[in-house]
Amino acid sequence: MKGDNVRDARRRQRSAPGLAELGEGRIRYSERMMPLLAALRSRFSADKPFDGLTVAACLHVTAETAVLVRVLRAGGARVRLAASNPLSTQDDIAAALAARDGVEVFARAGADRDTYYGHIALALGACADGTGDGPDLVLDDGGDLVAALHTMAPQAVLDRVRGGCEGTTTGVLRLRRMAAEGTLAFPMIAASDTPVTRIMDNTHGTAQSVIDGLLRASGVLLAGKTVVVAGFGACGAGIAESARALGARVVITEVDAVRALDAVLRGFRVLPIADAAPLGEVFITATGSAEVITGEHLAVMRDGAILANAGHFDVEIDVRALSAMAVAVDTDVRPHADAYRLADGRRLLLLAEGRVVNLVAADGHPPEVMDLAFGIEALALRWLAASAEFAGGAEKLPPGVHPVPGDIDAEAARLVLNALGARLDTLTEAQQAYLASWRLGS
Amino acid sequence: MSAEPYKVADINLAAFGRKEIQLAEHEMPGLMATRAEYAASQPLRGARITGSLHMTIQTAVLIETLVALGAQVRWASCNIFSTQDHAAAAVAVGPDGTADNPKGIPVFAWKGETLEEYWWCTEQALTWPDGAAPNMILDDGGDATLFVHKGAEYEAAGAVPSPAEGDSEEWLVILDRLRNSLADNPGKWTKAVAEIKGVTEETTTGVHRLYEMAKSGSLKFPAINVNDSVTKSKFDNKYGCRHSLVDGINRGTDVLIGGKVALVCGYGDVGKGCAESLRGQGARVIITEIDPICALQAAMDGYQVATIEDVIDQVDIFVTTTGNKDIITADHMAKMKHQAIVGNIGHFDNEIDMAGLTATPGIKRVNVKPQVDEWTFPDGHTIIVLSEGRLLNLGNATGHPSFVMSNSFTNQVMAQIEIFTKPEEYPIGVYTLPKHLDEKVARLHLDALGVKLTVLTKEQADYIGVPVEGPYKPDHYRY
Repeated sequence: MKGDNVRDARRRQRSAPGLAELGEGRIRYSERMMPLLAALRSRFSADKPFDGLTVAACLHVTAETAVLVRVLRAGGARVRLAASNPLSTQDDIAAALAARDGVEVFARAGADRDTYYGHIALALGACADGTGDGPDLVLDDGGDLVAALHTMAPQAVLDRVRGGCEGTTTGVLRLRRMAAEGTLAFPMIAASDTPVTRIMDNTHGTAQSVIDGLLRASGVLLAGKTVVVAGFGACGAGIAESARALGARVVITEVDAVRALDAVLRGFRVLPIADAAPLGEVFITATGSAEVITGEHLAVMRDGAILANAGHFDVEIDVRALSAMAVAVDTDVRPHADAYRLADGRRLLLLAEGRVVNLVAADGHPPEVMDLAFGIEALALRWLAASAEFAGGAEKLPPGVHPVPGDIDAEAARLVLNALGARLDTLTEAQQAYLASWRLGS
Repeated sequence: MSAEPYKVADINLAAFGRKEIQLAEHEMPGLMATRAEYAASQPLRGARITGSLHMTIQTAVLIETLVALGAQVRWASCNIFSTQDHAAAAVAVGPDGTADNPKGIPVFAWKGETLEEYWWCTEQALTWPDGAAPNMILDDGGDATLFVHKGAEYEAAGAVPSPAEGDSEEWLVILDRLRNSLADNPGKWTKAVAEIKGVTEETTTGVHRLYEMAKSGSLKFPAINVNDSVTKSKFDNKYGCRHSLVDGINRGTDVLIGGKVALVCGYGDVGKGCAESLRGQGARVIITEIDPICALQAAMDGYQVATIEDVIDQVDIFVTTTGNKDIITADHMAKMKHQAIVGNIGHFDNEIDMAGLTATPGIKRVNVKPQVDEWTFPDGHTIIVLSEGRLLNLGNATGHPSFVMSNSFTNQVMAQIEIFTKPEEYPIGVYTLPKHLDEKVARLHLDALGVKLTVLTKEQADYIGVPVEGPYKPDHYRY
């Protein structure tokens, strides 16, 4: 039609896309920003490192996760995927994966507790009678899959697992506690423990995506507001800098003296949560701990205070206490924002039901970040699959929590830098000799 | 008083000063381009410029630019602590002279003058040989302008007034000097005021004085407010202080700024630069403000805005930037944390109540090193005061760096050329330079920073109603 632009015309031609089509479009979009996984897909298509192996994955079902899953499929794996959070699943992504790739997807946004664990059981392929095709390798995020293997799955299924990777700090800490108890039955690689993942994922990924989730859910202006960030670990530090860059006055709460000193030297105010509670206009928890914001703190908060959690589990903000204090709850005043009305008229706004706000109210970390995080996991899984070949030999890892092997970290960083066109120097022979010798001094 | 040839701390420092002047010239593309542009036409030939401006390496390049454009110059510093002695020596010796045979310009300045010495230097800079008078003033803070105006006023009245109750020590020195001048050389200042075509004023505080004089009808010659060229106040005041405030604090005290609480009084151009650099070093910065617009800017930039009384016992480093008086009182200082650091970066030293501090019963003062004093209160707590409350970036360090001063001083040179060559266009009043000159100053500094400007197409220029070559913004635009 005259006066039309191209976009209008196309829009009219296309019928409303189905869920899978929508997801497919978004997966392709993210894929283009994930050069490491693209390189691995080529490599794995040739080598088929996972041929004949089943991978059970418990991950947030996002576009980036879908790209990872396709890399594993290209490597010959059979993949069963469950969600690692009841609210974070993006249904269109789940539909796209199920439609195109023959991936068994057990995930839905807004699953209740039973459904959530039921999905994990299905991903484990376990049947009540002990039969069923259990996984050879596991990819976990937060430890619910590995915990289920050790508590719910039949022994035969547990025995078959050769090992796996864990992607988040909370999950790694859980695994270490299992290992300390002697319970962990197979080797797990702490993929989130590498310097590269800590920098890109924990700090920079979180810095952007938590603020993204906070802003999409609440729409609040951060400039001039007092924002309390509980925890100044790798995640809290990123969130605090982001909030400060947007003009907020950031207050940190911490239990660790070393992290607190870092916060102070960067110019942040450090207060006990009890003192910060009446001052904050926005609260973001990033501790990995439990009961950080309790009923006592909620009781003294300012009218209109906003509560968000950036930790893996929803234990940091005591949502039960908040519900008990409220005389009424206005759910979904905005998507992912519920207003709790207290007896004295104050309203507290809880985002994402206290669950991890960047994945529930936004899309999680950007693709570039997950490219590196997932690339390292894919390389670690491949290493595990290869070492499992030598089951009886020296290569087999004992049960327990292990660091990312060899220089997978550096290899991942190099592959990404390559794709970005960044160039590094290499050590000269003289420099190598100098660094290797103790004799050269003053 | 007769016109002396020069007076500096040590003429033998000239060689060192010359080396640093040469380095500074490379960092001052605006001034060097101005020399090149006007070398042939010599627009300041016939000008007798009295300068009252911090005698630093950067000022030396300004002075030698004025000379290159044909001017004769006599110079004093505008602060008792801000002179760099090697710069003063090099200016006295000049590029072609030696310590034994100086061929520079008459300069009267050294670091650590008494108030009497300061005003002697100022009067020397205003006193030309053979009974001549200056015909231009280049001022920073308005002391030279004040001196000639008061001189003329008292000559007209026939006498210098007696000291009054509450007069500051400095005012008494000024009255004394003028009393002697009226006795020895009656009519000197009336003549000067008649000869002086105009003054170009560098700093916010000096400009404020000029507007007051214009309002009361007492301004005797036109003035160009160089401070409010955009390429001066939005750069020198802000980025210059951003560099030189912490330089002064570091050289004076070596204190770790990271993790400390700093109070910046005032969030104008100077306060903004100061706050940014303290925050950049990891301090938690609190702002005080009386102006709701500046206060809102500070809050939106993420600073807590409080009254000084609210936070007096939390602050480790105090910096006044207001251009006003009595910001930090003796009472405040009595309540500060032990070893709190107190400094001022405003032009005058009345922001911190040094007189009140000195008069505090039982107070003791110990000099730690030049321009750093520790004051002990009767209860045992101490505070560290920098440069006796005078501007600490020049007292404890070397002031703003060359590149930003090239911006400011290019404006000064253009302003001097304007009034000297076109006095008929400037009836008595206070003026700012036209925007096309402001933009010219900016342009002169872009190449050195590798900046590539985009050029408007004719269509774009017409669309927004500006010439392709600028000016690009209306006068009310605030950058």
